Amino acid sequence: MKKTLLTLTTLALLASVAEARTWADIKSSGTIKIATEGAFPPFNLLKGKELTGFEVDLANALAKGMGLKVQWVTQPFENLLIGLNQDRYDFVIASHGITPERLRAVDFTNPHYCTGGAIVSRVGGPKTAADLKGKTVAVQVGTTYLQNVSKVPGVGSVKTFPKDTDAQAALMAGRVDSWVGDKFTGLDLVKAQKGKLVQGALLFNERIGMAVKKGNSSLLKELNSALAKAMQDGTYAKISGEYFGQDIRCR
Amino acid sequence: MTVPKVAPRQPLGGLALLGWLVGAAAAFFLLFLLITLILRRIPDPIGPRADLFVQGAQMTLQLTLVSGLIGLVVGIVAGIMRTSALWIVRAPAGLFIWLIRGTPLLVQILFVYNALPPLLQGIGIKAELNEFWSAVIALALNVGAYNAEVIRAGILAIPRGQTEAARSLGLSGGQTMQTVVLPQALRIVVPPLVNNVVALLKDSSLASSIALLELTLAGSRVSSETFQPIPVLTTVAAVYLALTTVMTLFTDQLERRVKIATR
Repeated sequence: MKKTLLTLTTLALLASVAEARTWADIKSSGTIKIATEGAFPPFNLLKGKELTGFEVDLANALAKGMGLKVQWVTQPFENLLIGLNQDRYDFVIASHGITPERLRAVDFTNPHYCTGGAIVSRVGGPKTAADLKGKTVAVQVGTTYLQNVSKVPGVGSVKTFPKDTDAQAALMAGRVDSWVGDKFTGLDLVKAQKGKLVQGALLFNERIGMAVKKGNSSLLKELNSALAKAMQDGTYAKISGEYFGQDIRCR
Repeated sequence: MTVPKVAPRQPLGGLALLGWLVGAAAAFFLLFLLITLILRRIPDPIGPRADLFVQGAQMTLQLTLVSGLIGLVVGIVAGIMRTSALWIVRAPAGLFIWLIRGTPLLVQILFVYNALPPLLQGIGIKAELNEFWSAVIALALNVGAYNAEVIRAGILAIPRGQTEAARSLGLSGGQTMQTVVLPQALRIVVPPLVNNVVALLKDSSLASSIALLELTLAGSRVSSETFQPIPVLTTVAAVYLALTTVMTLFTDQLERRVKIATR
């Protein structure tokens, strides 16, 4: 078993020698490949065939600023960073909170927005971390919400769903007591459900960044400067205002 | 019929079957111990999370056993219904098999989990289907439809002369089925039924889509946490292989024991 694993790991390492595309490669090809999930409103979502959302608009604006055409790829959330390390695309913008575990696997740009993980329950349900004692909570698999909910002392059971929208559906169907997810997504959900749901306390705060393959410093530098430029010239504020009525950059 | 005669080779007795069951249970218990021991010794990302894999494997086996047993009953009932001479008995079973075989299992699982409770509420039944029972219902119906066709084939494989002989001895239709046809048919269909159960064990991985923590979801939790799909998927595949191997060891035994001297 150990031997097999070693062989496989070696093979994997050999296979991944294929280098990620550097900034020069991307620039000369004229097209940048960006991956997102497409199931995380209002940040990235598929409306029919069309990919839209705050992060999608932002990434399109950044690419435009860099003089590149965009090719979008959608993947299940838990596969995004794995696929990035296999060079399936150049960078990922999918509301990844910057965590030490993730930083071991990929490199992050400066945060493109700041948010938190909030508890959302049906009216009369749990509102604070203390209320979650013995309760069942729905979260999406592979997220920081899962990690942080698991750390809440005395929490009942944590159910992991493949998509955030599935986890929210479980809350609406009364299968779980609470759902923990992004505070902005939560606000949208509460608004859409008109009085059936309430948003409780923030469990934690997080900074959200775009991910590039570990060591792809030339692309990282370009993305950071494009982001800084968009934040300065009002592009960022305009897109953020459209979606949230406020500027959600980190302060 | 009451004169005890020593037959040259007894078919499977109750005691032997019990022994087989106990043996299978003990083997799986040992297998889980072994898996735990081995996985704990593998380095990160597997070792520290060995218990999660074992928990997932236990759920996978539990799901397979429960839905497999229900599916066997469903299969026998629907299979017998399909061989009936009456159209009114044949039709519902035919409809059931047509529906289940014609739609993907993943869709069935999602349907039972997401669509069935509101539909039942609509007709006034308050059903709380949790993840486990949603998966059991979908898997049992699915394997039941496939089992039904297998059982029907087994019944049709019994020569007509057997039925004719039984009926001319004065047995009723029901008695003929129960005492002459089914005992022979069920022996014939053991291999294809085993096939279906092994397929069921692997199909249970689809229950990961409704947040039931079985082996596949345990794996994807670990791989999305550590970003190391290769060791995780290798481990998951190896555990599935171990489960199906132990299962087929015992079903081969069962096959040997239900054989009768005639063949």
